[in-house]
Amino acid sequence: MKTPATLVEQFCQAATRAGALTVRCVSAEAAIAYILRHAGGSIVLPDCPAALQLNLAERLRAQGGKVICGDLFQAAPTAAAGITGANFALADTGTVVLESTAQAVRLASTLPERHFVLLNPHKILPDHMAAVPLLRRLHSRQSPDFIAFITGPSRTADIERVLTIGVHGPRELHILLLDELSDDFLEN
Amino acid sequence: MSRRARRYRHLIDQALSDVRRQEALHRFGDAYLAARAEAFAGLDFAGLRHDIADMKDTVRNDWPAYLHKFMQQAETSGAKVFLARDAQAANAYIAELAQCHGARLAVKSKSMASEEIALNHGLEAIGVRVVETDLGEWIVQLAGQRPSHMVMPAIHMFRDQVAELFGNLTGQQESEDIAHLVEVARRTLRQEFLNADLGISGANLAVVEDGSLALVTNEGNARLVATIPPVHVVLVGIDKLVPSLEDAVRVLQVLPRSATAQAATSYVTWLRGPAPGREQQRELHIVLLDNGRSKLASSEEGRDAWRCLRCGACANVCPVYQAIGGHVFGHVYVGSIGIVLTAFLHGLEAAAELIQACIGCRSCVEVCPAHIDLEHIILGLRRRLAADEGVGTIKDLVFKRVLRNRRLFHGLLRTAARMQKPLTGNATSIRHLPLFFSSLTEWRTLPAIAPRPLRDLLAEQPTATAPRLRVALFGGCAAEFVLPDIGLALARLLRHFNIELVYPEGQSCCGIPALYAGDAATATELARQNVLALAQTQADAVITVCPTCTSALTRHFPDLLAGDPTLADCATGLAAITRDAAVLLSEQLGNASPVAPTTIAGRVTYHDSCHLRRGSEVYLQPRQVLAAAGWHLTEMAHPDRCCGFGGSYSVLGQPAIARAIAQDKLDDIIATGAEVVAADCPGCLMMLHGLVEKRGLPIRVAHSVELLASSLDDQ
Repeated sequence: MKTPATLVEQFCQAATRAGALTVRCVSAEAAIAYILRHAGGSIVLPDCPAALQLNLAERLRAQGGKVICGDLFQAAPTAAAGITGANFALADTGTVVLESTAQAVRLASTLPERHFVLLNPHKILPDHMAAVPLLRRLHSRQSPDFIAFITGPSRTADIERVLTIGVHGPRELHILLLDELSDDFLEN
Repeated sequence: MSRRARRYRHLIDQALSDVRRQEALHRFGDAYLAARAEAFAGLDFAGLRHDIADMKDTVRNDWPAYLHKFMQQAETSGAKVFLARDAQAANAYIAELAQCHGARLAVKSKSMASEEIALNHGLEAIGVRVVETDLGEWIVQLAGQRPSHMVMPAIHMFRDQVAELFGNLTGQQESEDIAHLVEVARRTLRQEFLNADLGISGANLAVVEDGSLALVTNEGNARLVATIPPVHVVLVGIDKLVPSLEDAVRVLQVLPRSATAQAATSYVTWLRGPAPGREQQRELHIVLLDNGRSKLASSEEGRDAWRCLRCGACANVCPVYQAIGGHVFGHVYVGSIGIVLTAFLHGLEAAAELIQACIGCRSCVEVCPAHIDLEHIILGLRRRLAADEGVGTIKDLVFKRVLRNRRLFHGLLRTAARMQKPLTGNATSIRHLPLFFSSLTEWRTLPAIAPRPLRDLLAEQPTATAPRLRVALFGGCAAEFVLPDIGLALARLLRHFNIELVYPEGQSCCGIPALYAGDAATATELARQNVLALAQTQADAVITVCPTCTSALTRHFPDLLAGDPTLADCATGLAAITRDAAVLLSEQLGNASPVAPTTIAGRVTYHDSCHLRRGSEVYLQPRQVLAAAGWHLTEMAHPDRCCGFGGSYSVLGQPAIARAIAQDKLDDIIATGAEVVAADCPGCLMMLHGLVEKRGLPIRVAHSVELLASSLDDQ
């Protein structure tokens, strides 16, 4: 399945409007270089399909990245960055959908200052309704099941309605579009 | 006035004296309207909310079966499920759970259901420290208050107050910079998350097909509550059930757009069963809360409120909310849905003053994404309250003894027209009232009763020769006895268009004052008298110059007379041919000799009356009428915002709130620089005239019918 360029464009625009940064990466090297340039410190990296496929931990470390894998409970709260993949994305709102049942994935995407998401741009669906059949398959495949729809960084407007970024979750959401990632919508 | 009512008036006065907060709520309301319009741009809001209402009604009508299936599915997913009949049962279950796990610290993501059952008190009583983690909710908790808004709990507070609260907590001076304050919250609450034994959240949706839950947040705190503590309790009302994931997604299309004007919130968490933790043994407890919701579902008058998504839009657009805030215009739940939920979840007594504080402008009905006719439900509650407590001695006397007897009622008004001379001189308004009535004329003049009522004046008017159409005019009390010039203007216009006008002798008050006060018996009797009088005319159409009367004829008469074997069909038939004068006139503009004058008459601004704009969805036609009359229209800001009249609301009900709302309207009118303000409702006209006259402003107040008629004179 190929995502039309207009859908990728629509996704990027919506995600940008929601305060995310979208970056098209020509290669895994480019993505790794981007992450290292913007991580700002230690990186927590759960055992997710994207990390394994790209051999991320090793390649980040080889270029001087401080990468923490395994049990992230101690490291995540003070980590500068977390990296995860994305199962798919929704163009209408610029949302990334992330199967987050493994606690490490949740810790890496909720606690660090910034969250890098590796997304295969061929996995962008037009809207939320198009996500329902997949949501249903993810829910019925396993239980428990925890799926996150993420649209932009953590935000609040609870003091005088002034929009302020990064109250509990990541202050920055970087979405890296990389063709060579798995095209499995249900990857786990 | 009861002690309860006096206490409430006192709270209102206090709230109205807080100018800074009122300004903030007004700014919020304006920003919300604009952002909401943008968020829904390109979407079929009417279609979306229709679908949601249908879906929610389907569940409501068969909720025990949906609940049962959800519980089964949720248990299959590995969650522990508890159905709590009431607040006590829910609190007891969660307290026992906390004790079982030896919990010392609970972190909470925002949950209105937990506010509803006062969960924090219950847990604190057994020694569990409870920390709210939603920023607004945490601020409110630190201040020892309750949320004043369902989505923005601390909207009533300011940065300096927050800085002081945070300073008390950290023991140092905190800057008032908002980014800094948010950082303090992040740092402090991060530790609480990591140390918590128990996580508590609400849920926005409970999906029946697979027992999953959806949690909608912007801050990301619900994700942490669901991830870090070893035990997660979800407290969710049984009204949050939706059949399928498709239905859930449909709700997600309108919920953030209605709540915060966002296309999507930062996070939607779909949770099915207890996601694993470090030791792979986290627990998920789902506490399903009834606490009056099943009673709501089976209540004929209130059941549509089951549809509520808790978006808070009704408060965002409410002029009463903007005037007095959610602490006064709310109990636990605020705004107009708060009135209804309070009545059903906390009891009618808790809602009594709130029920009377609604001005009935229907702003909330227009934006509700679940298509709840909140005004209609509140009127039903007012009726129940009247049955319990009466409508008040004065109103009771007026409604039962006077209003039901047309000859007596009209006779008294004619007498009053003569007796009021000492107050009016020969003017058309009352500028001052003596003694304890003086506060009523402190900020506006009151209209005087006209020397001769409309029916007498119309009797002297020539009629159309060989008319094309025969219409019956339903005058309404204000146009008949206070502002008869409107009816005279209409008579001249109809003659011009060659339409015969009849004025049925037996017509009386439309009954709305009685109905809105809760006296349905008087309203029904008046509906009967009016339907009889109008039916006898055999007219092609019934027209009104008062949109409140229109709503009586088109909506309430058929309702009130539905059980009357002889008049039910008649009432429905009349409802179908009843229209506001502006609608009829705008139709006629095209097919008779043009009225259009050759010169520009001047600059007018137009006020959309609540019952015309939202009751009849008429707003283009009056503008067409004004254009035809040669007026250049300058739109005011918030043209469709209530003027504060609200019938007896501005005199007997809540004059202080009415005054605040009216002041907003006057400011908007003055800002246009127009020399005339037009409206199509005698009630609004009386209010606007009273405001303008008291301030001595050179602004004419007129019905659009009058302006069109005067353009005839210019020809």
